[in-house]
Amino acid sequence: MGLGYVDHEHSTGVLREIYERMLARPMPPAYKPRHGGVAGIITAHALDPLLIPKVFGTSTTLNGAGPLTWPERELVNATTSRLNQCLY
Amino acid sequence: MIARPREPKGTPRQRALIEITTLVTEAPWRVHRVAELDDDALLHTIALSSYFGHLNRIADAVAVPLDFTVRHAPPATDPTVPALAPAPSHRAGEPVLPLARRPATAAAIEAWHAHVFDRDAPLSRDERAHLQGWVAAWLGDPRRAAPAGTSDADLRRLAELVTLAPWQLSDEVFAPLRARGWDDAKLFDAVVTASTAGMISRLHVALVAVG
Repeated sequence: MGLGYVDHEHSTGVLREIYERMLARPMPPAYKPRHGGVAGIITAHALDPLLIPKVFGTSTTLNGAGPLTWPERELVNATTSRLNQCLY
Repeated sequence: MIARPREPKGTPRQRALIEITTLVTEAPWRVHRVAELDDDALLHTIALSSYFGHLNRIADAVAVPLDFTVRHAPPATDPTVPALAPAPSHRAGEPVLPLARRPATAAAIEAWHAHVFDRDAPLSRDERAHLQGWVAAWLGDPRRAAPAGTSDADLRRLAELVTLAPWQLSDEVFAPLRARGWDDAKLFDAVVTASTAGMISRLHVALVAVG
């Protein structure tokens, strides 16, 4: 079920360049996926590569800044996901 | 604490964060101030929950598998859970807490909005305007109205599920649009447009409702 997406291994061109930029971002270990590549929630946006820096640039302003503390931000994110019945 | 967000536990501040997050997600027109969160913390909570709802919707539509190590596995999705209720009316007024208090976030969302709405493909501008208007109406945002004229019932159904019941998204919902020749890129554009419109309307309505 679901729409297609392209993972890092199979990406080319603009999408590959964007994935490389995303991988180069500093990130807490807890946010790094098990496979060590680009997180699934990023590759889920593969059908619109130029949207990726817009969405995750917004994340930086919200998940990488206060005044909510990191545990509080995680609480907000996890609660939102639970209410939306989403794995993420 | 998170397994039952409607039975919140934890410290008073944690319970307040859960309460506001729940309202933003389910009924942004009912958001209100709480003693445990000052205005900056309230704004951050509203903006963050609105944003994270977009990630949820994309994850649901693409069905990307969870690839993080988690302590508690999330429960299986229950598609029988009813859709969220639409707003009973428009929530008129100006944001009591303007997003401009977080200039970096405001600029990022403006750039995101421009990318999604200021283009002619894969969706047409008319289709984007319809999506934005429908989503705004479901979330009580008076700033947008769908254009007059015949609306696309299949596109509207997709937008309604993205906005009010993303856990019910399935290939069956995409099927009538695929039958018309819509490829995954166009379907994704429809999901993203509805989700982006939802994030922005949800954020606006909540910031107006703070009161």
